[in-house]
Amino acid sequence: MNWPSVFSAVLTHLQITFFGVLLGCVIGLPMAVLLIQKPKLSHSVFAVIDLVQTVPTLAMLIFVMLLLGLNNRTVVVSIALFSLFPIIRNAYVGLNSVDRGTLRAAKGIGMTQLQVFTKVRIPIAAPMILAGIRLAVVSALSIATTGVFIGAGGLGMLVWRGIQTRNTAMMLSGAVPISMLALMLEYFIERIEKKLTYYK
Amino acid sequence: MVRFENVHMSYGEHAVLKGIDLHIEPGQLAVLIGPSGCGKTTTLQLINRLITPTEGKIFVNGRDISTVDPVELRRGIGYVIQEIGLFPHMTVKQNIEIVPKLLGWDEQKRSARSKELLKLVGMEERYLDVYPAKLSGGQQQRIGLLRALAVEPPIVLMDEPFGALDPITRESLQDEIMTLNKKLHKTVIFVTHDMDEALKIADVIILMKDGNIVQAATPKELLSHPANEFVESFIGKQRQAVGKLDTVREVMSARVVCAPDDTSVVEAVDLMRRQRVPSVFVLNKEGGFDGQISIKDIQSFSCTGDEMISRLANKQIPTVHPEGSASEAFKIMMQENIDELPVVDGDRVVGIVTRRSMVTSLAKVVWQGEAHE
Ligand SMILES: Nc1ncnc2c1ncn2[C@@H]1O[C@H](COP(=O)(O)OP(=O)(O)O)[C@@H](O)[C@H]1O
Ligand SMILES: [Mg+2]
Repeated sequence: MNWPSVFSAVLTHLQITFFGVLLGCVIGLPMAVLLIQKPKLSHSVFAVIDLVQTVPTLAMLIFVMLLLGLNNRTVVVSIALFSLFPIIRNAYVGLNSVDRGTLRAAKGIGMTQLQVFTKVRIPIAAPMILAGIRLAVVSALSIATTGVFIGAGGLGMLVWRGIQTRNTAMMLSGAVPISMLALMLEYFIERIEKKLTYYK
Repeated sequence: MVRFENVHMSYGEHAVLKGIDLHIEPGQLAVLIGPSGCGKTTTLQLINRLITPTEGKIFVNGRDISTVDPVELRRGIGYVIQEIGLFPHMTVKQNIEIVPKLLGWDEQKRSARSKELLKLVGMEERYLDVYPAKLSGGQQQRIGLLRALAVEPPIVLMDEPFGALDPITRESLQDEIMTLNKKLHKTVIFVTHDMDEALKIADVIILMKDGNIVQAATPKELLSHPANEFVESFIGKQRQAVGKLDTVREVMSARVVCAPDDTSVVEAVDLMRRQRVPSVFVLNKEGGFDGQISIKDIQSFSCTGDEMISRLANKQIPTVHPEGSASEAFKIMMQENIDELPVVDGDRVVGIVTRRSMVTSLAKVVWQGEAHE
């Protein structure tokens, strides 16, 4: 077993996942805030995002590859696109489910629109927003695995080479860490979500 | 202190206020009263610029408020609402100190203030670090009141603040409001639909109907010289209602749990569990009533957790109007064999009639207030 190569594959895998979901957040979270402001827009935007969601992973990777080439960047962008769905959806619902009375009170006592968001809506929606990010992370880990088909690094590489060379140990050295990462990250983020509902 | 000059307010074609002229003196406790939908909330929200009049001028402290920054204006006007609207993620202390904090008071001054305020409503200091979810309805509304008073605003607006509270808590909070008004010389503008409440606390009662002021007078004057038949019948109807149960409003509970129609099934179930209710009302994008979904429905439907509740909601459920007849509501519940009846005004959900709320109201009449909820 080649431990250093497993370790570096884990790092690459995490990197791709992290930057993919991060990009998804950078686009998705402000988008959710915008949609709250412009409810009329939300129908069409959600229609597009739902559509993106139904594209098979591999097809998406290929589309993006045509634009960005065979590399990790393609996987990062694909992950970001798939992340938009859970991130925007959850943030939108979370921000929108803040009690109307609470919002009216916030405005009525003299909070600016920005303060209503930063002090009331976002903290209350935080667990829900984070749950969206968690869903995105878990699916990102598997998309990153598929990334091997378009020449990206990461744990998918070990799985794929292991299969091709009928090397079970190598295959497992990719598959086991992938599962463990998914379980660990999910558990970890869920813990934070729980912490964020301290007041209930 | 607060002056309206020929104020009109319309939503599209719908004229809600039709030329309001009003003058409230400093230190007065003015009560706006009238049938549901007559424009009380609208009038109140004009004062702190939550909405803007279509026509006319409003002056607060001599200043035309259309020339004042709304945020600055609101920080100088206390605001208390029926839904209370405490910030659930903040402690009592943080809730009370929010406006002082927005205004940049230092921690020491804020802290002294919140302790002083808590004493004012007879709550102990240990409540400072408690979250609102742990407080009773009456305690929550006390904190709502303190939040509004924190920076000693000369004016306090209160929109049916005690509507959702039990009669005993309501009585004691009414007393507290009167004391505050007299001791701290606050100008209080108070909305209610309860004539007894108005007669008890008001310096001046402003009776509204269909977007007009019908009469503005002291309680004594209103009783002895009602301006017209409407005033007479409004006082009369309300007075008789004590000890009788005529309208749905008297047998309903104002505590309703709602969810937007794009809420997922999982969130809806979670909400029901947290609020300890067997069902929630579904609201459309405009916040209008769009059916009900109960835990039973969810269990009997095959649905996935992330599905939106809009598809599962029971849109055919019968509803009643708050001013509708209580006995009719009772009949519907028996005939249709339903446990819960939404009370809807226009498209707004304003309450719910449950077997429990009905029995509680009945018991109160039968045993003259000795019954406990
Ligand atoms: N945002 C709104 N859009 C359209 N109509 C509204 C809106 N808010 C209130 N209304 C209407 O204005 C009328 C007066 O409402 P409101 O001031 O809330 O009455 P009250 O507080 O006296 O019960 C009602 O008919 C209500 O349906
Ligand atoms: Mg109202």
